[in-house]
Amino acid sequence: MINKTNNRLLKSLTPIKWLRCSIAILLLFVIVPVHATEQNATAFEDDEGCLTCHKYPRMTRVTDEGAIRSYYVMPEVFANTVHRNVPCRDCHNMIKQLPHREVKEGVNCNTECHSVNNPATGKPFSHKGIYDVYKDSVHGRKKVVEGIDSDKPYCVTCHNNPIYDPNELEPPEHIVGRCVLCHEDEKFVKQWYKHTSRRIREVKRSSEEIVQLCSSCHGDKKLIDRHLDFAKNNDKELGSKFAVAAESYGESFHGKLTRYGFKETANCLSCHAESENYYKSVHDIRPSRDPLSPVHLDNRVGTCQQCHELADENYAKLDPHPTTNQKEGAFRHKAEQIYNLVSIVTIIALVGLSLFETWGRRRDGASFLMKVGTSWRRKSKRGRDRVE
Amino acid sequence: MKLSAEARSVLDTSMRQNKVDDRERDEIEELINQLPDDRVLLYKNVDSNPLGNINRYSIHIRLQHMLTFVTFLTLAFTGLPILLYNAFWAEPVISVMGGVDVTRIIHRTIAAVMVFTMLYHLVTLFFGTLYRLTAGTFDIRRTILPLLKDLRDFRNDVLYFAGKRDQRPEMDKFMYKQKIHYFAAAFGNTVMIVSGSSFLFPEFWASILPASIASEFQELMRLSHPHEALLALLVIAFWHWYNVHLAPGRFPMQWTFLTGKITREHQIEEHFLEYLRILVEVPQERAVLIDMLSKKELLIEPTTENEQQHEKSTLS
Repeated sequence: MINKTNNRLLKSLTPIKWLRCSIAILLLFVIVPVHATEQNATAFEDDEGCLTCHKYPRMTRVTDEGAIRSYYVMPEVFANTVHRNVPCRDCHNMIKQLPHREVKEGVNCNTECHSVNNPATGKPFSHKGIYDVYKDSVHGRKKVVEGIDSDKPYCVTCHNNPIYDPNELEPPEHIVGRCVLCHEDEKFVKQWYKHTSRRIREVKRSSEEIVQLCSSCHGDKKLIDRHLDFAKNNDKELGSKFAVAAESYGESFHGKLTRYGFKETANCLSCHAESENYYKSVHDIRPSRDPLSPVHLDNRVGTCQQCHELADENYAKLDPHPTTNQKEGAFRHKAEQIYNLVSIVTIIALVGLSLFETWGRRRDGASFLMKVGTSWRRKSKRGRDRVE
Repeated sequence: MKLSAEARSVLDTSMRQNKVDDRERDEIEELINQLPDDRVLLYKNVDSNPLGNINRYSIHIRLQHMLTFVTFLTLAFTGLPILLYNAFWAEPVISVMGGVDVTRIIHRTIAAVMVFTMLYHLVTLFFGTLYRLTAGTFDIRRTILPLLKDLRDFRNDVLYFAGKRDQRPEMDKFMYKQKIHYFAAAFGNTVMIVSGSSFLFPEFWASILPASIASEFQELMRLSHPHEALLALLVIAFWHWYNVHLAPGRFPMQWTFLTGKITREHQIEEHFLEYLRILVEVPQERAVLIDMLSKKELLIEPTTENEQQHEKSTLS
């Protein structure tokens, strides 16, 4: 039936109709992408003509270390980032002429954006405030730095600004419909909706994400060894748990529950950052020897009490990073060795006894199967059989 | 059968405690005299019902075993994926049970049932012992308490299986293996309860312990809980299940934990002293035993006075 209909339809198409149909289909393929590109391109104004060169995908160079560095900017991608309204040279302010020379200085996140004003103060927008907090923390470093400090995270290590958030839905139509009544421009309304809704929502990373992020450095054995060696050779002090922080957290109840997606247990920042001023404090991580750290001995009871309300000074002395590591957890290591030895000896002894008994009972004439009557149905090698 | 001094003592105590009259005493003594000296012949030639012939465990003990059995396995099932979190099966097991939010509730609830079971057992022990003491039927040899005899029994049992002895030792209601197992379980339960409570109420334990040992105590508990659990699971899997399921003559399983009864052949073989008490307490068992052995002509006929005199004269 369907075949018959299709045949009838094909036969009804004259050569001119064929041509029209083909052009229509071709136009469909051409118009749709052009329309889409136009939409994206308008979101990112390249007034300074940076894309003249940076639009080329092969705009790359090979560094002295042999790594390929790409300088390709995808306008349609950049147009969706949080920095889409910031002209390139607001951040890349070391570039004074075009075409520019080799750039050795990196972008600093404390730069003032001269083209974007802070709507609250009217001053040029800047991340300088939070950058200064970060600068004084244990993680603080300059953008371009060599040596051991280059292991420390810079802003973009954590703020990787994912351009696609699967949880971020398109603005609801009834809200857009309401806003557009006064703000008129639907595109503007949608952008503002996303901008504000994203910020008024809880934007903390999940516990799993936090642990993953911290562990990307604190769980990196090579990085840890580098820092241990550096501290040893330069007589610098490192945190007592520095070498086992991620590993021991993973072995703790907190770590295991986080791994299984449980949300009500402590992650790294629950203890190492202040809950009251969380977003500032996560930029101000300090070693436990620093009196400003929430895990400093003087502050520890209060930190524990955030979750364990009945915690006292004794409680604050419990090891939050238990490990069986021979160096860091000697007591636990020894205790575990004893436990393992007892377990192995016990199991070997019991299995040995069972096998010995099996051999003895079989030799004595016991069948394996327990049946009505008796289980002594075999001929004994010791000469005393059941009388039948 | 000529009873050993140990067996004679058990039999006499039982007859005294059960206030056996002279007629019954003679009947029991006659039966004992008629039994073959070789106990191996005795347990190999009786007939048994795999579901059990002789009462052994009260309904309380069976309930306690069932509760322990269910709680132990559930606790292991919900706890092991936390211990062995890197194992390939850990995450699927947790997911199947509804996630760690659910399993932690199950684990704690079942742990409370386990604590209840332990208390239930202690109450049973206390009142059971009190009843026997007031009724004058208490005999320490019939309890699970370890005695020096158990060490001798262990040695002699090993010698028997090695072919160095003719008979298995005369063991009581609870043999050395059961005593080891019972006290290992009691110790394990205590460790699990104390360590489990130190996870659930860490603030309480830290507040009652001196500051100098609070951290070490918590460390030890963090280690003890999983290690004890794993050891218990291995002992159950490799030893307890061997003894009650896999040992020759016990396969596919002993039904005692459900029926409360033990098979006759098992009772005579591994709990001979308790069997002597059963012969005193259960007259029907005496009749059944005589019937079984006489059919196989294994009973020793009592000698008459004339025959005794004839034997004496022959000897002289």
